[in-house]
Amino acid sequence: MAPRSDSQTLATGSGAGSDTTSESSMDPIFQILRIVPFSFLRPPRLRLKLPSFTLPSPMTVFSMILLTYFLVVSGFVYDVIVEPPGIGSTQDPITGAIRPVVFMSGRVNGQYIIEGLSSGFMFVLGGIGIIMLDLALDKNRAKSVKASYATAGISSIVIAYVMSMLFIRIKIPGYLH
Amino acid sequence: MAGKQDSPNSDLLNSFSFKSLKLKTKQQELLIRVSILGLVYILAFIARLFSVLRYESMIHEFDPYFNYRTTLFLTEKGFYEFWNWFDSESWYPLGRIIGGTLYPGLMVTAALLYWTLRFLRFFVHIREVCVLTAPFFASNTTIVAYFFGKEIWDTGAGLVAAALIAICPGYISRSVAGSYDNEAVAIFALLLTFYLFVKAVNTGSLAWALGSAFGYFYMVSAWGGYVFIINLVPLYVLVLLITGRYSMRLYVAYNCMYILGMLLAMQIRFVGFQHVQSGEHMGAMGVFLLMQVFYFLDWVKYQLNDTKLFQTFLKITVTSAVLVGGIALGVGTASGYISPWTGRFYSLLDPTYAKDHIPIIASVSEHQPTAWSSFMFDYHILLFLFPAGLYFCFKRLSDATIFIVMYGLTSLYFAGVMVRLILVATPAVCLISAIAVSATVKNLTSLLRTKQKVPQAGSTKGAGSSKSSSKVSLDQSQPFQKNGAIALLVGVFYLLSRYAIHCTWVTSEAYSSPSIVLAARGAHGNRIIFDDYREAYYWLRQNTPTDAKIMSWWDYGYQITAMGNRTVIVDNNTWNNTHIATVGRAMSSYEDEAYDIMRSLDVNYVLVVFGGVTGYSSDDINKFLWMVRIGGGVYPVIKEPDYLVNGEFRVDKGASPKMLNCLMYKLCYYRFGELVTEYGKPSGYDRARGVEIGNKDIKLEHLEEAYTTSNWIVRIYRVKPPTNRL
Repeated sequence: MAPRSDSQTLATGSGAGSDTTSESSMDPIFQILRIVPFSFLRPPRLRLKLPSFTLPSPMTVFSMILLTYFLVVSGFVYDVIVEPPGIGSTQDPITGAIRPVVFMSGRVNGQYIIEGLSSGFMFVLGGIGIIMLDLALDKNRAKSVKASYATAGISSIVIAYVMSMLFIRIKIPGYLH
Repeated sequence: MAGKQDSPNSDLLNSFSFKSLKLKTKQQELLIRVSILGLVYILAFIARLFSVLRYESMIHEFDPYFNYRTTLFLTEKGFYEFWNWFDSESWYPLGRIIGGTLYPGLMVTAALLYWTLRFLRFFVHIREVCVLTAPFFASNTTIVAYFFGKEIWDTGAGLVAAALIAICPGYISRSVAGSYDNEAVAIFALLLTFYLFVKAVNTGSLAWALGSAFGYFYMVSAWGGYVFIINLVPLYVLVLLITGRYSMRLYVAYNCMYILGMLLAMQIRFVGFQHVQSGEHMGAMGVFLLMQVFYFLDWVKYQLNDTKLFQTFLKITVTSAVLVGGIALGVGTASGYISPWTGRFYSLLDPTYAKDHIPIIASVSEHQPTAWSSFMFDYHILLFLFPAGLYFCFKRLSDATIFIVMYGLTSLYFAGVMVRLILVATPAVCLISAIAVSATVKNLTSLLRTKQKVPQAGSTKGAGSSKSSSKVSLDQSQPFQKNGAIALLVGVFYLLSRYAIHCTWVTSEAYSSPSIVLAARGAHGNRIIFDDYREAYYWLRQNTPTDAKIMSWWDYGYQITAMGNRTVIVDNNTWNNTHIATVGRAMSSYEDEAYDIMRSLDVNYVLVVFGGVTGYSSDDINKFLWMVRIGGGVYPVIKEPDYLVNGEFRVDKGASPKMLNCLMYKLCYYRFGELVTEYGKPSGYDRARGVEIGNKDIKLEHLEEAYTTSNWIVRIYRVKPPTNRL
């Protein structure tokens, strides 16, 4: 409430001061400013407008939040602090060739960057699948759009769940045994 | 349903049973709800009993032993002795003011339960009460989660939230039976405070706000994490103000909670005047003053009928308020009256801070940042449901949903910074996921239920009746949609059952180990129990003089005082970094220098933990580098590169000479060179590091071995008095 009206009044105050008479303004600071520098300094005529501050719509905020969620759940803070390699490597004992290792094994609380990002993507995909299911049940759309939303949603959820289970089984060998 | 009066007795019985079972829909719903909540309550309790059934009813880990010792003291000596207790048995020779440096909520709660049970003539031991406090409060949390879900969304979401939070591994990890730690009670207090506050904001009632103030008092008495509440609630109020949701209800709720909560919180000695002096609490005060400005401006606007005058007044007031607030904050901070953010909480905002500046905080494994697998382990399906729940909350924005969204996001960010804080995020994640589940199931079942209505254009009763007109046109696709809805409901049921299976498995395998008793699989698959810790502590209790002082690394301090009943030099409270650094220096120096330090501290016995025989990896050799870092942080004579070879920490032949001759090495590997630990390997093979040790011929000059436990896990040495000068 306060910031919005504040910026508007500042805009109107500066606009009012330049063309209409300013005796109607009751702002003492404005009166002081009128006398002290601006009685002998002439303010230039600018066409600038103060940036108006409007709140973004809920869905815009939601998409930004989804992005932040993706970063947090991928272990972004872990990546920044511990600085693991993007992908691990192991040396094949027989041939001596270097093979990449995607999942850091042996600990629950450790990851390489790529595995974190891909898992985070799966989680967000599952969430979006459920959202699309809800959009599919919305009444005000054409039937074909609803059907495509439904299929996309269901397939997203299924893919996300299956991949996440696969990832966790690779990472923790004794999972569910 | 008319009962026929043919043969009075049997038919009366029949009609009586039929009539009484035929409840109205509202009663049926109430019965279902109450029975679900009852089952969830019992489930939350029994899911946490794995370790009691497998081992015995004992306290786990390290910190709970301190809490147990203080609770024992409270029940034996009474509240005033407890409140004024100065303990000379820890942090020798400094001592510790226990009454003024702990959060008494947990101990007082357990003592109250104990006294209640005794009053009812159930003479239980205080240890049993302590062990089972956490599951009991976890069950209570599910009930609060139900009411919270009801407040935010509807009763369906509340029921799902209660069920999810009952078995969520993120919460179970710190509230199993035996985990007698502050968080056991604190999560209940946290959720209760938040629920009461949201209820107060929704109703604007002073009674609910008073309730939330008392909930906050309970939280402050229980856990240091109350700082989260005192920063989240003002942030929430600020967001409401920015989005234009200022109302009288918000004013009443926040003011009452803040003032009363602050006054009550000052009753806890450990917190003291922090609410007016500490930088972490200044946000709440700032928002409090901002609310007064808002109320004042609202009143002035109501009095004045002139908008132009009001706009001017608004500009002046806001400018002056911001100026005055800024100056006051600046003066307070510069003069030192307002203390800056403490390291622990500052490292949440700037995660790289602890790594560079405070090694003690960085060394705790619970304080590491979180990887994706920890999230998956602790949340499973809830990670999918959380963004969907956020979407539903954003679709239906209200004061309550804004709160839960903020709680969820802030707590999830902090959970990403520190693994331990997954616990704080769990209630929010469960609640938001419950919203997703409830909304999705509601959508699907409303699809199902419209099918039962014959699609007449005029019918307006029943669920989803607004679809009845459109249903006429979709007549052919009805069976397909109905089958699809049923299939999706089966899918939801499948996912939730997988969640339950996952949670049970995680609880059973990962979170039910007492840590003080170790278990391993033997060669034939049988389970072997290592009870070495308690063996060592009881040896200390029975075989050392009562005024003996034990030096060990700070991890074991609480357990030694609680079970061994002896004085320790440093313990888990870690309040004095220099004292810990002195011990670290002693452990990493050569035996002669270490002997001087030990004589200066009056040490009689030294205790080390060694995992080389059993392959136990959380022993003192693996923690050794932290001792070096912490010691080197205060005494520059200890330099970490001295103990490393090419940046690598080794204990075999290639290790650095300083490492091979320091006190910790000698104490851990004394006589180990003669032991064959594994078939086919040379003697002195360290199973935890996987190498043969470098220095097998160890001679101790100033210490002698007092006791080594049966699996060589705990080793105790006696410090010899100085030789007589001749």
